[in-house]
Amino acid sequence: MDLQTDVLIIGGGATGAGIARDLALRGIPSILVERGDFTSGASGRNQGLLHSGGRYAVNDPEAARECISENRILRRIAPHCIEDTGGLFVSLPEDGAEYRATFIRACEVAGIETIPLSPRETLSLEPRLTPDTIGAVQVPDGAIDPFTLVVENARDAESRGARFFLHTEATGLLREGSRVTGATLRDRLTGQEFTIAAPWVVNATGAWANQILALAGLKIGIALSKGSMLITNTRLTERVINRCRPPASGDIIVPNDTVSILGTTSSRSDDLEQYEVTPDEVSLLVDELSRLIPSLRGERFTRAYAGVRPLVQVGETDDDRGISRGFALIDHEGRDGVKGLVTITGGKLMTYRLMAERTTDFICARMGLRVPCLTQAQRLPGAGLGHALQDRLLWLRRQTPASRGEILCDCELVPREAVDAILREGKVRELQDILHRTRLAKGTCQGGFCVYRLLGLLNEMRKAEGRGDSNRILRAFLEERWKGIRPVLWGISLKEEELIESIYKGLFNLNAAGNDGSAGGGE
Amino acid sequence: MKRWDLIVIGTGLAGLTAARTAAEAGARVLVVGRGIGSLALFGNSIDVLGEVPPGVNLDAGVSDWIGTHPGHPYARTGWEGIAEALVAFQELFPSPYRFVAAGLTNSLVPTGTGTLRPTYLLPITMRAGAGLVAEETLVVGFRGFKDFQGDTVSLHLKCRGVNISLPRYGLEGLTALALARLMDEEPFRKSLGEAIRGQKAGEKRIGLPAILGLCDPAAVLEDLEGVIGARVFEIPMLPPSIPGLRIFNRFRERLIAKGATFLMGNPVTGVTVKGGRCEGIRVCNPPLETEYRAEQYILATGRFLGGGLWAEMDRIVEPVFHLPVSQPAGRGDWFRERFFQPEAHPIHAAGIATDRSLRPSGEGGAPLLTNVRVAGSILANHQSIEEHSREGIAIATGYRAAQEALKA
Repeated sequence: MDLQTDVLIIGGGATGAGIARDLALRGIPSILVERGDFTSGASGRNQGLLHSGGRYAVNDPEAARECISENRILRRIAPHCIEDTGGLFVSLPEDGAEYRATFIRACEVAGIETIPLSPRETLSLEPRLTPDTIGAVQVPDGAIDPFTLVVENARDAESRGARFFLHTEATGLLREGSRVTGATLRDRLTGQEFTIAAPWVVNATGAWANQILALAGLKIGIALSKGSMLITNTRLTERVINRCRPPASGDIIVPNDTVSILGTTSSRSDDLEQYEVTPDEVSLLVDELSRLIPSLRGERFTRAYAGVRPLVQVGETDDDRGISRGFALIDHEGRDGVKGLVTITGGKLMTYRLMAERTTDFICARMGLRVPCLTQAQRLPGAGLGHALQDRLLWLRRQTPASRGEILCDCELVPREAVDAILREGKVRELQDILHRTRLAKGTCQGGFCVYRLLGLLNEMRKAEGRGDSNRILRAFLEERWKGIRPVLWGISLKEEELIESIYKGLFNLNAAGNDGSAGGGE
Repeated sequence: MKRWDLIVIGTGLAGLTAARTAAEAGARVLVVGRGIGSLALFGNSIDVLGEVPPGVNLDAGVSDWIGTHPGHPYARTGWEGIAEALVAFQELFPSPYRFVAAGLTNSLVPTGTGTLRPTYLLPITMRAGAGLVAEETLVVGFRGFKDFQGDTVSLHLKCRGVNISLPRYGLEGLTALALARLMDEEPFRKSLGEAIRGQKAGEKRIGLPAILGLCDPAAVLEDLEGVIGARVFEIPMLPPSIPGLRIFNRFRERLIAKGATFLMGNPVTGVTVKGGRCEGIRVCNPPLETEYRAEQYILATGRFLGGGLWAEMDRIVEPVFHLPVSQPAGRGDWFRERFFQPEAHPIHAAGIATDRSLRPSGEGGAPLLTNVRVAGSILANHQSIEEHSREGIAIATGYRAAQEALKA
């Protein structure tokens, strides 16, 4: 199988999917390849915060202006991916009224609307906040669902002719002299190899940019900054809560569907696959955020995770928060004398659309095309739908036990029908793909119960094939799950852990040699 | 105020065994528990020590194993203590719903993922699952019953599997408890048996999820085997556990018959300790807090899941008597990097250290409380999940703790 297209995009995060859509809206064919599933990288490992720009207003006015502008655009084009929670910048006595005043002025300059709130008003909006607060400033922060956003971009692009290959990695770049003319690819699940020829290759792999560039013998300066986050079992606040002080570790709480995401830390990393959250990072987040929400120590935490931010290096600095969160579009012809290859990296989820616009503008200019960008106005296909959480709750309210059918996940009330529908579409290729597309395994038990049921469903489908590898999949899932829960195992989470371990290692004996893999416990 | 001979805190298998042992010896016993305990979750068959391979006699296997694990709870009882306690357990379940072993060795029985696990005493409803031959076996799952995936089991056992719709109740989202109650109805199980017979293609053994009735599982087994014309066995599955509930119910029935009192549903909120003795415990039954006093006490509150241990962010505590907990140095050392690995996570060996008489001990081994004994999984220095020793530890130490308390 060898294919041809105008633009080959490597990377299925927000930026890559955004570029595919932007190109499609301008009538330019493209193919996107992604090593894992959509949002396997930083797009799926962030805090899900729709920035107002407030966080950057004082220190990085340009980033703040970008944020508020994209914030307004995303509300227009992707309302179904956004929960308009609003956000508060909460001041504690040690943060001081002076910084609060500076913050309000900086927001004004950046064009971010603010509403100052008294301590009493603040507490009436968010009663779990500490009574020590000296007030808050309301800004248009919100919560955004990155996965839906990316899938929606991809869906729209696909309906306009773009193509996607998931679980497919670039193993080499095709060259004709100083020109890159495409890539060699490998399907990671089947091992099948093929090529895609394209006059333009866009490297939209974010933090992994240098892995692609190495295929062309190139390298750019990227610093990797690991950020760790915690998820609570319940939704702690209705609004995004920021600490009104210069950005630091452990100062944001973002409501996300039925839970809250607490973040973040920032530390240099040189390992792209290093997602381990350390006990110290967990303690730091809990300690810092307990200042905002005193009851936090008693909360149940379900998971910790980390993402790697690609920061484009502009100079030497010790503090990664000091490096601009801005993005970089690199034309490798101008920089390295290699034609047909551009890299877009840095930036953040909030600016994915702008990054896509700039990249597409650049390619159009080089192609000699004068087609305007449409993504700031053209709504995503599902934009008429409601927000996922509200939709789900409304759906549930309409159901009787008989009409809603079998519920696979009791924590998040995911019906079997939702999984069947995904399977019918025929696009998912492994267990994690299903988990990505539903709320299965995202609730209190973190998949401890529903994954067993899900595998049963998969086995029912595969019975004809006689494939008995489900215990290998189950073990792999439990191992992956472990990375997320191990850092938060104390209190009630530890009780749950003992339950799950007793089931899978005790009752099901999956730890035993011979029970770890495929059919019959053989192999 | 009424004064008891013995107060047992905890209603898992260890607490029930201790309470029954004392009550049958004539003691006035009060059993205090927050809930049914882990029997309702994992109680299926009786594991003693899965690390002893099938074919090796348990008496020799366990004795050898104690030699290399001198801190293990079994070292407090020895094989003789375990064997005596197991005999007493078996006596509680007379024919027809008996617990039996395959000689003096472990059996391998199938589970809800189609794996095999080693275990010692099996209820007769699980016996035909031991040593099954794939070609002769049919696994039957029920449509709409998500906690037992028959296809997963049959794929891994390499035998034939079918999913059938339940005869009368086309309900989606059935639970184990609802199914077990249906099985207690004779017409239901007979029509189910006919449906299974219709699916049979010469198989001699039929595996079903472990839901063969709560009240009279032996009758359910007999009826099904009669109608189907094949041997039938239960396969343990995701909690809740119906076989475990049967064990709980049987203990409770016997204890009540022997005059023991149950106080269920409320936590112990405090204890009174004077001069190294427990003088009383307080139980909160809102809005009242009542004190109960006894000569002797047995703490059998389980591990984290049962509430016997509680993990704060930086240390593990025992919430009832505030006993010292033997534990790893810090939270970073509680768990290993990978979920599956040969050695257990260090936190699983944490627990309460005791003297030979199962009294909680401090550094140096001297007892901290002279009239309190500790039994079951809360004890330190075992890895019951990996060892497959959960029920054996509960029964052996529960039995021993009661004997020691009676002697005192």
